[in-house]
Amino acid sequence: MEQQCYSIRLHRVLFLFVFPLAMVLVSGNPEALAQLAPVGKAENALGTLTVKRADGRVDQLKGKGSLPLYEGDECKTERASKAFIRLTDGTQVAMNEETIFLVQARREKGKGVIRIFKLLVGEMWLKTAEPVPIEVETPVATAAIKGTEFNIRVQPDGKSTLTVIEGLVEFGTPFGTCPIRTSTVSFGERGKRCTKPAPIDPSQAIAWIADVVH
Amino acid sequence: MTMMCARYGLRFISVFITAFVFGCAMFEPPPPPNVGNRVYVANESGNSVSVIDAVTLAPMKTIALNLKGTHDLALTRDGRTLFASNLLSGAIAVIDTATFETIATIPTGNRCHSLALTNDERQLWIGNIGDNNISILDVAGLRILGTIPVGKLPGHVRFSKDGRYAYVTSQQDALVNVIDTSNHRIIGTIPVGKLPHYIIPSPDGRYLWGGSTGGTEVYVIDMATNKRVETIEVGPKPQHIAFGARGMFGPFAYVAVEDAGEVVVIDATKPGASKIVDRIKVGSKPSGVGASPEGGRIYVSVQGSDEVAVIDTGTHRVIAKIPVGIKPVGVVASF
Repeated sequence: MEQQCYSIRLHRVLFLFVFPLAMVLVSGNPEALAQLAPVGKAENALGTLTVKRADGRVDQLKGKGSLPLYEGDECKTERASKAFIRLTDGTQVAMNEETIFLVQARREKGKGVIRIFKLLVGEMWLKTAEPVPIEVETPVATAAIKGTEFNIRVQPDGKSTLTVIEGLVEFGTPFGTCPIRTSTVSFGERGKRCTKPAPIDPSQAIAWIADVVH
Repeated sequence: MTMMCARYGLRFISVFITAFVFGCAMFEPPPPPNVGNRVYVANESGNSVSVIDAVTLAPMKTIALNLKGTHDLALTRDGRTLFASNLLSGAIAVIDTATFETIATIPTGNRCHSLALTNDERQLWIGNIGDNNISILDVAGLRILGTIPVGKLPGHVRFSKDGRYAYVTSQQDALVNVIDTSNHRIIGTIPVGKLPHYIIPSPDGRYLWGGSTGGTEVYVIDMATNKRVETIEVGPKPQHIAFGARGMFGPFAYVAVEDAGEVVVIDATKPGASKIVDRIKVGSKPSGVGASPEGGRIYVSVQGSDEVAVIDTGTHRVIAKIPVGIKPVGVVASF
């Protein structure tokens, strides 16, 4: 009986003091919390998706599965490999072969967390589920979106090709920013402003995603 | 009747104008916060920025950053925005100096090291040692818009007076690279001493001064010809440099010589024939050096004692030592 009372008292103490204290500590540093939470998961890999964590540990996904991704991860596909990733906000991301990107974030007062993919080389397709801000940084330009679908390819020399499937993308280099709209393409090159948008059939640009996106 | 209407109308208008003027006076925007006369110090192992009142020389505030390895600082001309690089996090912090609040953290590159605002302050160039490149931040939008590959282990970045050229030290290559800012191409390389780290243009913008941190000398480059015009032996491990004046005389270059524990003062009035005029003991491992805008005070971060030593340029005496955070490095002073 006494032991039961002690147990109830202990639970009460935990509920009244320890739990609120933990909540205060956690809410006091939301950035730390955000960095610990997965940003999404890789759901499919044709061939192999290799994920190098910030601590140097390496994970791989082959075929269908659920590999969580975190801020600071480096995602890489080899030749003849592709991958499909779904972010926690519903954004869909596909990686073509020989692609490397880093998962990062910018934190701004009043704007919260802005997801950034630092695309070093290769090709990505993104489709956002709702108007969430996402940016793709390439070595020569940055594509900033809010609710859209686009494809971006980076050559080994950094030259970047942006094709907008639907919506509006702000495509910026250090020499200026160009708004790129549905069914148009623009090129970014080091030392130059991005090119004026030119009409394109976007289905050609994203033919590669057909076998990996589900 | 018409007269009365007109009189009431006039009275109404005068009351309206009075109320409008009074209202405007009431709702006049508040004056901008006073962010002048301050010294900011990056504490690399403290992961923070120390703020010092440059008038009283008293510590004002320690801004803790949620990032690691705070190394270099850049301050906008109006003193309102401070950028801090964080080597270990590979990210910069953007600080509102009126509130001492971090308003943004931005990933840039592996071991982001040095910072330089372009002359128009529209871009911040960030040297990433681990990636051998420079990231370019759009200051208004806080977005990284591109990178420029440079030499191995990039040190510091500075711009020519007209903004047409950027100079970047390449520590492993023992070079200073010259970048054409109109197309981001490297248009020249200037061989200098071992491990060139810090660079700074002379106050007239004609010469670029730098320290060979792996050696014992300071070099001076003519920015019109991009040729080295002289080398001055100062002592082991020269670090940051700042310029000050002594009444009517100057400019003088103040060089932190880390392994000698002193600041070497060089008369910089005759480039090509510069002379050491003084050596000021400041303590173990001086690193960063910043000058007050008028050149009357030199602030030196001293890593051995986690302090900032303040040198009066009129007397060359250390007039104060102010405690800061652990391993202070970069120093900047506001107007």
